[in-house]
Amino acid sequence: MTSTTMAENTASAATKVGLATGAAPFRLIRRGLVYLLLSIAAFISVFPFYWMVVGATNPSAEIIKGKATLGGSLLTNAATFFAQVDAPRIFFNSAFIAVIATALTLAISSLAGYGFEMFRSRVRERIFGLLLLLLSIPFAAMMVPLFVMFSQAKLVNTYVAVILPTVASIFIIFYFRQATKAFPSELRDAAKIDGLKEWQIFLFVYLPVMRSTYAAATIIVFMANWNNYLWPLIVLQTAENKTITLILSALTSAYTPDYGMILFGTVLATLPTLIIFFLLQRRFVEGMLGAVK
Amino acid sequence: MAQARLDRRDQITGWAFIAPALILLGLFMIYPIVWSLWMSFQVGKGMNLSFGGFANIMRLTKDPVFLRALGNTFTFFIVQVPIMIVLALLFAVALNDSTLRFRGLFRTAIFLPCVTSLIAYSTVFKSMFATDGIINEALMAVHLIGAPIGWFSDPFWAKVAIILAITWRWTGYNMIFYLAALQNIDRSIYEAARIDGVPAWARFRYLTIPMLKPVILFTTVISTIGTLQLFDEVYNFTAGNGGPSDSTITLSLYIYNLTFKFMPSFGYSATVSWVIVVVVGILSFLQFLVARDRRRSA
Amino acid sequence: MSHLTLKAVRKSYGSVEVIKGIDLAIKAKEFVVFVGPSGCGKSTLLRMIAGLEHISGGDLEIGGKRMNDVDPSKRGIAMVFQSYALYPHMTVRENMGFALRFAGVAKEQIAKQVAEAARILALEPLLDRVPKELSGGQRQRVAIGRAIVRNPQVFLFDEPLSNLDAELRVHMRIEIARLHKELQTTMIYVTHDQVEAMTLADTIVVLRDGLVEQVGKPLELYDNPSNQFVAGFIGSPRMNFMAAKVVEAGSGTVTVALTKQGNVRITLPLTAAPAIGSDVTLGVRPEHFGLAAAGDADLAVNVDVAEHLGATSYLYANTGTGEQLIIEREELRNELGKESLTVSIRAANSYLFDNSGQRLR
Repeated sequence: MTSTTMAENTASAATKVGLATGAAPFRLIRRGLVYLLLSIAAFISVFPFYWMVVGATNPSAEIIKGKATLGGSLLTNAATFFAQVDAPRIFFNSAFIAVIATALTLAISSLAGYGFEMFRSRVRERIFGLLLLLLSIPFAAMMVPLFVMFSQAKLVNTYVAVILPTVASIFIIFYFRQATKAFPSELRDAAKIDGLKEWQIFLFVYLPVMRSTYAAATIIVFMANWNNYLWPLIVLQTAENKTITLILSALTSAYTPDYGMILFGTVLATLPTLIIFFLLQRRFVEGMLGAVK
Repeated sequence: MAQARLDRRDQITGWAFIAPALILLGLFMIYPIVWSLWMSFQVGKGMNLSFGGFANIMRLTKDPVFLRALGNTFTFFIVQVPIMIVLALLFAVALNDSTLRFRGLFRTAIFLPCVTSLIAYSTVFKSMFATDGIINEALMAVHLIGAPIGWFSDPFWAKVAIILAITWRWTGYNMIFYLAALQNIDRSIYEAARIDGVPAWARFRYLTIPMLKPVILFTTVISTIGTLQLFDEVYNFTAGNGGPSDSTITLSLYIYNLTFKFMPSFGYSATVSWVIVVVVGILSFLQFLVARDRRRSA
Repeated sequence: MSHLTLKAVRKSYGSVEVIKGIDLAIKAKEFVVFVGPSGCGKSTLLRMIAGLEHISGGDLEIGGKRMNDVDPSKRGIAMVFQSYALYPHMTVRENMGFALRFAGVAKEQIAKQVAEAARILALEPLLDRVPKELSGGQRQRVAIGRAIVRNPQVFLFDEPLSNLDAELRVHMRIEIARLHKELQTTMIYVTHDQVEAMTLADTIVVLRDGLVEQVGKPLELYDNPSNQFVAGFIGSPRMNFMAAKVVEAGSGTVTVALTKQGNVRITLPLTAAPAIGSDVTLGVRPEHFGLAAAGDADLAVNVDVAEHLGATSYLYANTGTGEQLIIEREELRNELGKESLTVSIRAANSYLFDNSGQRLR
């Protein structure tokens, strides 16, 4: 702890010395340019969020004329939105699908990640290699047969149809396998000597020890499911089953979209992920980086 | 050391742990993929399919919408991916300086777009790209353009709008990967280089870039796959038709339309989807080759 | 009667054999140390006894029962790991009672046993902390405590001190020795550190390449190594080896010439002398060099470096022919400035090894 702080102090001291002795004006200009670049990037990144919130308070006619200040139409927009959209139902659909899919994905993928890493055999390594290859096959290549399968099974317009195909995620399996490499194998040995069966080791040792991995994975999987679009679009065709993402898209596709109302809905749809992001920023980023480390 | 041979009980336990995932993947991924490969040789409408040999592949070469979609997808890919990677790299290197003020703030701001769903952000962008909207207004205010751009009526500007939107959404995502990789580089390497008198640009060119190469490759492959699967944004911007006059239609959108919008043509849409598989395969392979060659010559 | 027996025990990974047939009988209450260089198979052997590695061939018996296929938790063993392997999400108390919980022991009984182990190791004040809040030495004690709670017939230690700093290592070494006295159970201890082996063991088992090189009491191995490997491995600084040639064989004696030490001759007692002209190796421990003319032969050496440790001094010397010698002489501490020196060796304190490294007696 102390030593790293010292190292940092030394490093910044070194930079200051460099500033003083080197080509100081050149460095100052460069530093200024860096701040300018980052400020522009930050502004562009954040502006659409501002626009979204402000838009929710303006009538559509003002929005498409570029009004970027707070307006007085928030309540009107909200009223229109709730009149056109069965919001409780739709948000329930989104939440239900996202929560169940996330729980199942984590369970099944972490089991597999643990299995692949702890019980290495030639056959399973081959299978894992094959799965990594499948990772690059686009969803488009399977969506047509998938749709035919679910319509033959009479499962179109059900939660099951939205959830099932997403549950075994190769990416999350890979993520858990990578994370399992850092799980100390002596801990598993100790548990074996303590008399635990493999499933007990997984449940009572691995799971609590790896909880930050689970937290990071929860965030990315939840996000992916909450925001999922193409597959729900295909498989959810009746209004009462649709998710908020589908509804937003449908509203936007209208010939003259009511942007005030739509942006109000967009704020509602983005809020859960924004809240998760600000509460768990570090885990969030960890999850995104996941597999690379 | 030699890999430990597992005894029989461990073998069974190993299979038990991965079985649920394998069964689901087999059912909902491998089976559909194989089926769609088989489908791609079938012709006919709806479920009345019959074996057509290479008929679908022949049809591809004469299908103007397919050729347009392929071209558009390549345009998005060739223009958007490099811009985004360079920007992300630039921001990451700028933010990696520990003496920079407001570092956390900048980082959070640039990463923020990743939080939004593809539909949410494309909705927001659609409202900003309106003909009298905020973007045209801003561009005219700084005299970059004289008259408003018809972002969604002009085939060229429609593509530009989509590229801008995608770049906004994904640059921060890539930046985070570079930032993580940069922070894993031992700082004493740079200190050694400074003592050796290596100038800043050379430290970037000969130290940073080579050390980031695996991450750059990874993000390039991910972005390639992402761009070739482009669907949500275009669908949402153009109300599902890839307009104006197919100028923004992508392969994924075309497959969707072939299957669910027009009279379903499962065989042919499967053929189009396999075009994406083949293109992703070739591009990923080429990127690995390029990365390997550079390493050899370096 | 022996308490733990290994009979022709083998282990192979695919076609690679790492344990090549080991026979060993360990008595009850004995403190046995497996020692050897890294890769010698000592940890693998310990893990086979624990049941963490499958035994490819041969038999393992504990308390007269064949244990080859018995679950680790039912072998009557407990193990202390190099990394301590404490469950990071549990308190010290929970860590120590975890095994009993899964053995279906009643709560009050668990509490009692944990309290007893905590008393023995003076862990009471730490019981409600989690491993993260403990120092390295404390973690080590908790790991030992977790083993004690299970009341095992055999304790297994896998390089338990190698993650500690030097001072703590000495301290914990004494702690473990005290524990063995107090608990009176069989202990098997793996280390690559021959000092730990010498200080802790009743019996040392020296392993190399999956085979036992020698088994014996610490001083037995030191005074009477049965081959060049054991002679070199036990003792620090290590024994000096000098190339030699047999030049004369008398009745019960042999005379060798040190080929790289100016053909200095020394005569040693030997029952079965090798053929004249055969190459042999002469071993002399650093502390067995004497002052000039005080032994049976004199060697002239050049001093490269002198290390003064206070109580003793080590001289790193060569003879100009590539052979390095380490000489420990307390009385040479004042020879600091000298570059060349004459030392003597004694036949009684010299060891002779044949070409294959076997001791010639």
